[in-house]
Amino acid sequence: MARYLVHRLLAAVPVLLLTSIIVFLLMRMLPGDPVLMIIGQSQADVSAEVAERMRQEYGLNQPLYAQYFAWLWKLLSGDLGRSIISHQPALDILLPRILPTAQISLTAWVLAMAISLPVGIVSAAEQGSWKDWLGTIGSLVGAAMPYFLTGGVLIYFVAMRLHWLPASGYVSPFVDPWRSVETTILPALTLTLWLASTITRQTRASFIDVLQHAYIRTARAKGLSESKVILSHALKNAMLPVVTVLGIQLGSLFSGAVITETIFAVPGVGRLMVDGILSRDYPMVQAVVLFLTLVVVLANLLVDITYGFLDPRGRKA
Amino acid sequence: MYPAAAEPVPPRAIVPPLHRRLGRAGRQFARNRLAMTGLALVAGQVLLALLAPVLAPYAPSAIDYRAMLQEPTAAHLLGTDDLGRDILSRLIYGARISMGVSVGAVLGAILVGVPIGLVTGYVGGALDEALMRLLDSVMALPALVLALTIATVLGHGVVNGTIAIAVVLVPIFTRIVRGQVLSVKHNDYVQAAHAVGVPLPLVLIRHILPNVINPVIVQGALAIGFAIIIESSLSFIGLGAEPPTPTWGSMVQIGFQYLETAPGFVLAPATMIFLAVLGFNLLGDGLRDLLDPMSRGRL
Repeated sequence: MARYLVHRLLAAVPVLLLTSIIVFLLMRMLPGDPVLMIIGQSQADVSAEVAERMRQEYGLNQPLYAQYFAWLWKLLSGDLGRSIISHQPALDILLPRILPTAQISLTAWVLAMAISLPVGIVSAAEQGSWKDWLGTIGSLVGAAMPYFLTGGVLIYFVAMRLHWLPASGYVSPFVDPWRSVETTILPALTLTLWLASTITRQTRASFIDVLQHAYIRTARAKGLSESKVILSHALKNAMLPVVTVLGIQLGSLFSGAVITETIFAVPGVGRLMVDGILSRDYPMVQAVVLFLTLVVVLANLLVDITYGFLDPRGRKA
Repeated sequence: MYPAAAEPVPPRAIVPPLHRRLGRAGRQFARNRLAMTGLALVAGQVLLALLAPVLAPYAPSAIDYRAMLQEPTAAHLLGTDDLGRDILSRLIYGARISMGVSVGAVLGAILVGVPIGLVTGYVGGALDEALMRLLDSVMALPALVLALTIATVLGHGVVNGTIAIAVVLVPIFTRIVRGQVLSVKHNDYVQAAHAVGVPLPLVLIRHILPNVINPVIVQGALAIGFAIIIESSLSFIGLGAEPPTPTWGSMVQIGFQYLETAPGFVLAPATMIFLAVLGFNLLGDGLRDLLDPMSRGRL
């Protein structure tokens, strides 16, 4: 198992390097002078001579690959550049934004699992029943719901008409735990609906597949109860593809934050990226993109490790 | 002793003619109620986009300062927006951008992704390995974030938005096709074509492509639904078509400012996005049952 873990960790390194190259190249293609991006100042503040001196100082007259390694080295030492707007280091702005996004995303993730695993399993076990029908229609509808619609309906009815929860904003759990829960619920539910639909579909399909296997027939033939067949024989095998989806979706939840945090005015990383795009604060955009990529790669790593626990065959591969 | 081999049956006798096969597939599809619902939704959206000038009661960008933020009336069935523009007309014209950009992006992704998948899957080796790692990395970036970043780099606009979405979708098609090619390239008929000296491009197009195209069609329909979501997100953030072009995403964005007094501003365009995505998802699922039934369990 230890060897497997090391192997998986090492396999994540080239993916991170390649994505860093993609992000680096994309950022170099941005309109505007990279000097300004690095020092984090607007055009008006820098004269031509200063810009030229900066260009030499920052190695921007060097070949692209040399620039990349210099950029990567800074990145590894925690230097993500400076915001063009506030002149603060991008990392300092990014770090406090992670908590709201993580709090909402993880709440949505846990809620989605709590809804979709039982629904998917019941759908598969009672295929063709009214429960299956309800689950299937529900997940088809949920998978097509854009965050705008779910979020808009929730804000309008729950917040504006019923006044049960705040319509927007965010309060940190360290400031006021109860308010923090209140501000988390609606954005988390917005993310949950779509995610739960996707996982329900995967769980159902995966269980239907597993329930056709011979060892399930054997388990039933030796007189085990249906719940025992499902929980102790089918569950572990059926969970393999579900774990993959859960991991992949953890990453997409963080990027869904771009929309939900804009709708709900949550000061998280998604909102930070949108603000960065709108104000052309490209170092901030870059910092967020790098952070989100790291989250996705780590989530995939987590999937691989979970896979190793669930399926001993995978450890050899 | 082995029994005498049966007389080989000419292939024509086994495979029914094309029109009969299509007829059978059509009847099977028509029996699938969810798929037919999807088809109806998609057809409705396409008609809306094509017939927008006929169906829309007003010009979509006609500003009327005397009729700002009106509730639904007989003159404006869905009311007017903050500039007095007719919401129904903007909704109908919005179908053009939504359909145009998403269908265009998926076609672009197929045109780029499928040939790459065909060649790398067939040729294999270091090229294949390197390209797959690159695609893995592109896919490691969250789709929406990547599309946003590319659209930021290219600047807003319909064409740039289409390109941004297409780039995000290319790896999906390349991977599907590559996987299919790997599973058919060792078949006898491919080896035979190769052995008698059929040139590689012809082998790929005539002998391999027909066997890998079904999953591409299925994924194509599903990808359009996904592209509609990304397009509306780009428009919502302000990286879509330039104003005053009506897009559902930008209508939602304006609508959120008036949600409390006029929820229809948000809910009408958001519902259109929902129906469009639902239509393509259902259509894709129906096509999968028809064309690629083996992959049903995989989703």
